Amino acid sequence: MVNVRYVFGEAWSIARSGARQTAMAVALVALGLYVPGLLVLLSRNLGRLASAGGEPPAAVVTLESSADSKEAGERIARDSRVARVRIISGAEALERFRRAYPDLGAVLADLKEAPFPPTLEIFIKPGVPPAAAAEIAEAVRKQPGVETAESEEGFDKRFREAIRLLRGAGLFLGALLTLAAMLSVASAIRLALDLHRDEIEIMRLMGATEGAVRAPFLLYGAFEGFSGGAIALGLLAATYAVATRLLVRHPHPVLSIFWTSFLDWPSAAALPLMGTAAGFIGSVLSLGRKART
Amino acid sequence: MIQLYHVSKEYGRFRHALTEVTCKIERGEFVFLTGPSGAGKTTFLKLLFREEAPTTGQIVVNGRNIWVLPSARVPFFRRTIGVVFQDFRLIARKTVFENIAFVQNVLGLPRAEQRRRAYQVLKRVGLHHQMNAYPHDLSGGEQQRVAIARAIVNEPALLLADEPTGNLDPVLSEEIMRLFADINIRGTTVIVATHDLDLIRRMGKRVLTLERGRLREGAPPAPLIREAPFLPRG
Repeated sequence: MVNVRYVFGEAWSIARSGARQTAMAVALVALGLYVPGLLVLLSRNLGRLASAGGEPPAAVVTLESSADSKEAGERIARDSRVARVRIISGAEALERFRRAYPDLGAVLADLKEAPFPPTLEIFIKPGVPPAAAAEIAEAVRKQPGVETAESEEGFDKRFREAIRLLRGAGLFLGALLTLAAMLSVASAIRLALDLHRDEIEIMRLMGATEGAVRAPFLLYGAFEGFSGGAIALGLLAATYAVATRLLVRHPHPVLSIFWTSFLDWPSAAALPLMGTAAGFIGSVLSLGRKART
Repeated sequence: MIQLYHVSKEYGRFRHALTEVTCKIERGEFVFLTGPSGAGKTTFLKLLFREEAPTTGQIVVNGRNIWVLPSARVPFFRRTIGVVFQDFRLIARKTVFENIAFVQNVLGLPRAEQRRRAYQVLKRVGLHHQMNAYPHDLSGGEQQRVAIARAIVNEPALLLADEPTGNLDPVLSEEIMRLFADINIRGTTVIVATHDLDLIRRMGKRVLTLERGRLREGAPPAPLIREAPFLPRG
C-alpha cells in the first residue's frame, strides 16, 4: 500500500520540477474542453427554446391587437383537419418567455404593456399529412383580424435539425479535443518521466514498488486534467457573464436565445471530471510505454 | 545467508563479467570483495541485489532463490538490503533527510519517526547538521556518507557497499569502516567491494578476490591491484 501523503508530495514535486510543461498541458486541456463546452452551452439554450412549448404546433397565427382571439380560434377550429386551437394572449406569451428565459425576463420587466401580440397555435389531427399545415395557414391568412399565419412544420423540423447539428458538432469536437487533451497530458508525462528517469531508477533500487513509482505520475496527469477542466469551466462562465452583460445593454432577438442560461451543475461538473479522466488516461498511456524504460 | 552456484554473467557474446562463481557467505559475516577494475565486483553486487540477472547459475539470499522471486516481490526483497553505490545515487531534488527517509515515506511511517531515524543514522555518519541540505550542497565525501546513512536506516539484514571509501580521505575511510564493523556487530551481513588492500589488511576480515570474472578465497597479491588501473571498470 502506497502512502497517500507521499503520492501527493511527489506529484506536486513533479509538477513543480517541470512547471512550463505542466502549464502548457493544462492550457491545452483547458482549450480542448472550453470549445466543446461552449457548443454544449449554445445547443442547450437553443434546445430550451425547442422544448419550451411541449408538442410543437403545426401553424402559428398572429392576430391584430384589436382582433377577437376567441372568435378567430373558433373559426379556425371548424376546419376538419384541425385537432385544436390554443389561444396565447400577449400576457401569457410574456409569462412563457420569462419561464423559458429567466435571465432575460428582467429586460422586459420595465415594459408597460406586453410586447407580444396575441397568437393562435393550430394543432392538426393525427394522420393528416404535414402539407395540410401550409394549406390551413394559407386559408387563415385571408380571414379578418389575422396579421400573419405561418406553417411551423418546416421551421420546426429545420430548427430541431440545427440543434442536432450543433450538438453533434459539440460531441465531435469534444471527442477530438479531449483526445488532443489526453495526448498533451501524455506528452507532459513523457517529458516528466524523462526528467525523472534517474530518480525512478534509484527509487526502484531503494525498494519502491511499481505503484509507488507510477502513482505520483498518475496523480500528476489527473491533476493537470482537472486543472484544465476547471479553467475551461471558469472561461465558459466568464464568456457567459460577458455575453449576458452585453445582451442586457444591447438586446439582440437571435443572439439572446443562445445566452439564456448557464450550464446546469451536472453539466458544469462534467468539464473538470472529463479533464481529470483525460489526464488520467493520458498518464496511463504514457506510463504504460515509458515507465519501464 | 548468501549462496551462489555456478553463477556466470555475460554482457554480449564476448564480455564475461563473471565465470562459474560459486561461494557461500554466512549470516553476520563481514566480507571484502576485491580485485582489479573490471574484475566483476560491481556485477557481483548487482546480482545479489537483483539489479541484474545472471546468464547462468543460481543465487540464494536468505534461503530464497532470488531469480525465481516474482517481480512484484522484488521491491520488498530490496528493502531488506542496504546498498551503498559507487556513484552515491542520491536524488538531487530531495534533501538529505528526504533521501534517507524515502522508503519510510513510501511506507507511510509518521514524519516524526522518519526524522528521528534519519537523525540517528546521520549522527552515526557525522552529518546530522546537514539534514535539510541538498546533495549538491555537499562534498563528495559527505554525499558518500549520506548514501551510507540511507543504506543503513532500515537496519538491513544485508549491506552491500561498492567502493564506499573511494571518495574519502584515509581518516574518514577508517571511520566508515568502523561504522560498517559496528553495523556488522549488530548482526547485519556486510559485503564491501574495494580496491583498498591496506584497509582490507587492517580490518582483518574474510576476503574474496575476483580476477577476470573468477572468484577465489583470500586477498590477492598486492601487484594485481596496482597493475590493473587500465582495465575497464566492473
